[in-house]
Amino acid sequence: MSLGTATDGDDETSVLGLFEDSSPLRLGRGAIGLTAFLVVWWAGAQVTTPSYLLPGPIASATAFVDLFTESTPVALPLVGNVAIPVGLFKLGQSLLHYIPGVLLGATGGIALGVTMGWSGRLDDYLTPLVRILRPIPPLAWVVFAILWFGIHHTGAAFIVFVGAFWINFYGAYSGVEGVSTDYTEVASSLGVETDWQMIRLVMLPAAAPSVLTAFRTSIGRCWMIVVGAELFGAPGVGYEIINASNNLAVDTSVAYIFVISLVYVGMDVCFRTFERRVLAWR
Amino acid sequence: MALTDSPAESGVVTDSDSKIAVDSLSKRYEVRGEAVTALDDVSFEVADGEFLCIVGPSGCGKTTLFRAIAGLEAPSEGGVYVDDERVTEPGIDRGMVFQNYALFPWRTVRGNIRFGLDRPTCECPDCEQRVQELVDLVGLSGFEDAYPKELSGGMKQRVGIARALAVDPDVLLMDEPFGSLDPNTRDTLHGELLDIWRATNKTILFVTHEVEEAVTLADRILVMAADPGRVDDVVDVSLDRPRQRTDIEFVEYVSDIRERLGQ
Repeated sequence: MSLGTATDGDDETSVLGLFEDSSPLRLGRGAIGLTAFLVVWWAGAQVTTPSYLLPGPIASATAFVDLFTESTPVALPLVGNVAIPVGLFKLGQSLLHYIPGVLLGATGGIALGVTMGWSGRLDDYLTPLVRILRPIPPLAWVVFAILWFGIHHTGAAFIVFVGAFWINFYGAYSGVEGVSTDYTEVASSLGVETDWQMIRLVMLPAAAPSVLTAFRTSIGRCWMIVVGAELFGAPGVGYEIINASNNLAVDTSVAYIFVISLVYVGMDVCFRTFERRVLAWR
Repeated sequence: MALTDSPAESGVVTDSDSKIAVDSLSKRYEVRGEAVTALDDVSFEVADGEFLCIVGPSGCGKTTLFRAIAGLEAPSEGGVYVDDERVTEPGIDRGMVFQNYALFPWRTVRGNIRFGLDRPTCECPDCEQRVQELVDLVGLSGFEDAYPKELSGGMKQRVGIARALAVDPDVLLMDEPFGSLDPNTRDTLHGELLDIWRATNKTILFVTHEVEEAVTLADRILVMAADPGRVDDVVDVSLDRPRQRTDIEFVEYVSDIRERLGQ
């Protein structure tokens, strides 16, 4: 399953087509493709030695189930020690990086994108800077994440923040820049006077499709980034992937990979539903 | 409603009867280092409650003139006055209707019409009711909750007109508003626009390149010429409404103006 790297996420609609077009023929073909993959995987695992190089589907599924049946005691604030399934615990740690990173990055990116798209002067000042900073891969910031925050929750969240920031910045910026002057002209003939009124009543709704597409892209991209950030040692699902494989428990690595895949698919389906409702006017 | 017949020469703006006064308006652009004169010394007045059409070939500056009156473009020389006040920016005293409708696609019919009423400055005790009256006025009852994408061109423009009327502007500026509609829809909307005009006493300034449309609607027609854009002639249309396109007088008006335009 490709997570899509294009910023214009509309081209990715086929990624989750399985969940949207539910014609029996399509579902049947999808099931055949999936089964074929499992068979090839299983056969490959049977003939691979040593076996840890490629854990089979059954071993991986067992490891996956173990993640949610085996509990680990966790000291939570207020409640004290609680036994939590280990998979859920690691996912929670990753979400501690992912959610603040995505939310703050999206907020900051959208705010700057809208302001720069709206204000020609600010655009003049910042465009060269943006051109230089934007192409830097978020993981390159790991240096500063470690220096400034240490490679723990804050550092990992910072790297996610950088990734979410630029994706959302560009969506908002191009969205606002592309708003037809017809709308602003009509609005000013209908009594819209201040910049803030124009942004709130015209720019934001007109740019919403572009903003939401970028946000949806960042939902997917930030899962890749969070895993990358955790490979450097921040606790979470990404760290467990590399940790388990270092212990030759590759089936557990595969199980954690599934965890990320499932969470991403779930989030994407939810956001898509939300997006379709909000943009019903399109 | 007969007014002066030689507006191109009358540059004085003192007539307090006039709703709009365009005074020695010129507009020049730089295009690749060369000066282009879009409008050259245009002067005319529009009386309160008058229906004025502006016709002319493409490139005669009628859209530039429209934009100057709307306050969307600053003149190079001269000025536009509404109620003796110089126009410097768009305002709620001048409603605008465009050929491409320019409806807000994210708002329903009701939401579009309501847009101008949602301002903090809005003084309407019962906006909900005002919106409904406008919906009824333009004949869109039952479509209040439809989005623009669900409407035909004619319906979209009805919304555009209702939206402009919502803030109760004295002047309605219309730039080829029916230019993208099929002939039947256009005829219907001509009748509806005249009804609305009579019911609301708005001053309407209507830009078109269709001579027949201008003769159907206007009290007076401003005939423009190109290179540079200027007022070529002003025609009083002294025909009773509703006007029949097959009437001999109607046909004469049309052919006179066409001749003037060199069509």
